[in-house]
Amino acid sequence: MSIHFEKVNYIYQAGTPFEHQALKNVTVSIPKGSYTAIIGHTGSGKSTLLQHLNGLLKPSSGHVTVADKEITSTTKNKELGELRKHVGIVFQFPEAQLFEETVVKDIAFAPKNFGKTQEEAEKIAIEMADLVGLPDNILNGSPFELSGGQMRRVAIAGILAMKPDVLVLDEPTAGLDPKGRLEMMQMFEKLHQRQQLTIVLVTHQMDDVANYASHTIVLEKGEVIAAAPPKEVFKNPQWLLEHHLALPKATKFAYELQKTGKFSFDKMPLTEKDLAAAIANSLKRGGN
Amino acid sequence: MEEPIIEISDLSFKYPQQKREALSHLDLTVTSGEWVAVIGHNGSGKSTLAKLVDGLLVPETGTVKIAGVSLTSETLWDIRKNIGMVFQNPDNQFVGANVEEDVAFGLENQGVPREQMIERVRSALESVGMWDFAQHEPARLSGGQKQRVALAGVIALRPKIIIMDEATSMLDPEGRKEIIQLIKNLNQKNGFTVISITHDIEEASLAERVVVIDDGVLVQNDKPENVFQRGAALIESGLDIPFSEKLKNEIKNYGIEVPQEYLTEKGMVDWLCQFISKK
Ligand SMILES: Nc1ncnc2c1ncn2[C@@H]1O[C@H](COP(=O)(O)OP(=O)(O)OP(=O)(O)O)[C@@H](O)[C@H]1O
Ligand SMILES: Nc1ncnc2c1ncn2[C@@H]1O[C@H](COP(=O)(O)OP(=O)(O)OP(=O)(O)O)[C@@H](O)[C@H]1O
Ligand SMILES: [Mg+2]
Ligand SMILES: [Mg+2]
Repeated sequence: MSIHFEKVNYIYQAGTPFEHQALKNVTVSIPKGSYTAIIGHTGSGKSTLLQHLNGLLKPSSGHVTVADKEITSTTKNKELGELRKHVGIVFQFPEAQLFEETVVKDIAFAPKNFGKTQEEAEKIAIEMADLVGLPDNILNGSPFELSGGQMRRVAIAGILAMKPDVLVLDEPTAGLDPKGRLEMMQMFEKLHQRQQLTIVLVTHQMDDVANYASHTIVLEKGEVIAAAPPKEVFKNPQWLLEHHLALPKATKFAYELQKTGKFSFDKMPLTEKDLAAAIANSLKRGGN
Repeated sequence: MEEPIIEISDLSFKYPQQKREALSHLDLTVTSGEWVAVIGHNGSGKSTLAKLVDGLLVPETGTVKIAGVSLTSETLWDIRKNIGMVFQNPDNQFVGANVEEDVAFGLENQGVPREQMIERVRSALESVGMWDFAQHEPARLSGGQKQRVALAGVIALRPKIIIMDEATSMLDPEGRKEIIQLIKNLNQKNGFTVISITHDIEEASLAERVVVIDDGVLVQNDKPENVFQRGAALIESGLDIPFSEKLKNEIKNYGIEVPQEYLTEKGMVDWLCQFISKK
């Protein structure tokens, strides 16, 4: 499903003293089958933008098109039922989306709602729980009596069980241990590759942007200030510095090395592997 | 500054719904003014430990002493005044109708005079960059803004001990650095003791000591450089391998001889420069 934002403005609490415009004239496309990362500071509007993808928030003005569905300020919720089956959003705070008595029931909710029998739905739930690395012994307990990282996994499993076409992830690895974080990112990547799932990821981890994303959208105070592939975005350290954005670790390290005057890189590496290759190459060749 | 501020001995806890203990027979002493990082995989018992220290959970066995006083139902309220806890999910922490009231709440409870309170709330909110949001509802903030406000609540209290349970997990990279620096200053200038529960290796590397918990058992308690030397075993313990170590391994794959000992990123740059100069 391709997604397009056309001149989207979003205003929270319009007409009150707290009125705040969180999206400003946003025009941007998320191609079908892409892996799009959205980055930007605290409060820049990332979560607000995500919630437009299935009409949880509707533009104050402008419109959002998802596949052939157009969402404007006047779109009614009942028109959005079909779309919401195809766009699954994992929220920033996972507790906000847990509600059932047991972990299994929670994950089984969407498939059951979409017409699977109880048994089929629970089977899917158990598969998904395994996919996100949840231990078996917690499946019949309450989703609220879990550690933070375990709750996060339940929330992700619940959305995967929907089998969405567009998977929207709002900092999905915050609170996961590094092993879980890597496994989860690799699992999303696999879904993206094998099932042509469109992925929209909000993250503060520039390494994840470098390793997985095909597209990047940079938000600043509600405005899109860049929309390009990661290698374009990370090409200009001066621009990143001006906008208080970080580099992937490998790129940052490469700049540090370059500052010593002993190394130079034609193409700045984005990942550890590229960096190691470039360094090994320089070491074998000898210094500058 | 060398006196112990937290003394934990033989601490065990089991949630009634669970078969296994979430923590078993844990011993740990933290010195006043120290910065200790607590790491471990998801579900290993880190938040449970924090809640036991703050008296939110009651242990099955063992004791917790804060500044020499045993934690019991009688001493609980006095002891808690010494501890500022930032929870893993800031939504579970907010009590005020707006940000300013929320940060003031703990101070009111401690009977801080009104004028002082206003000043402390303001300066805490300014220090985390959230003063402009003083009149906003906490529930209507972005994720990172919520974490900043939760931290301000603790900073305003000026407790002897700050416990941060993944308190910076949703901050942008620059914001995270600023906030950690802020806490570091409070630790160094004001002598606050800091317990930081984290999955972030950079945050853990700032600590004087790293405590590793695995399935409720304390398995390591050592300086960061000693903990980080464990290489791949770190991943099983719930921490990442430091970037410099990963890079070292990748470079080794090219048949280049690399140093055995743990190198910081700076150390790695220095070593690479020496290596290339010798060529
Ligand atoms: N429900 C709400 N009511 C009013 N204002 C809101 C609401 N939610 C967010 N805002 C404001 O809108 C702006 C954008 O918030 P948003 O949650 O989209 O940011 P974000 O980029 O996701 O930030 P973070 O990285 O901290 O999660 C912020 O200034 C925030 O305070
Ligand atoms: N309220 C609760 N009721 C029952 N069991 C719980 C509760 N909270 C946590 N547990 C269980 O206790 C164990 C330890 O949980 P704890 O929250 O201390 O882990 P943690 O180390 O903080 O993990 P994370 O990194 O995911 O936050 C886990 O197996 C978890 O499922
Ligand atoms: Mg957000
Ligand atoms: Mg926890």
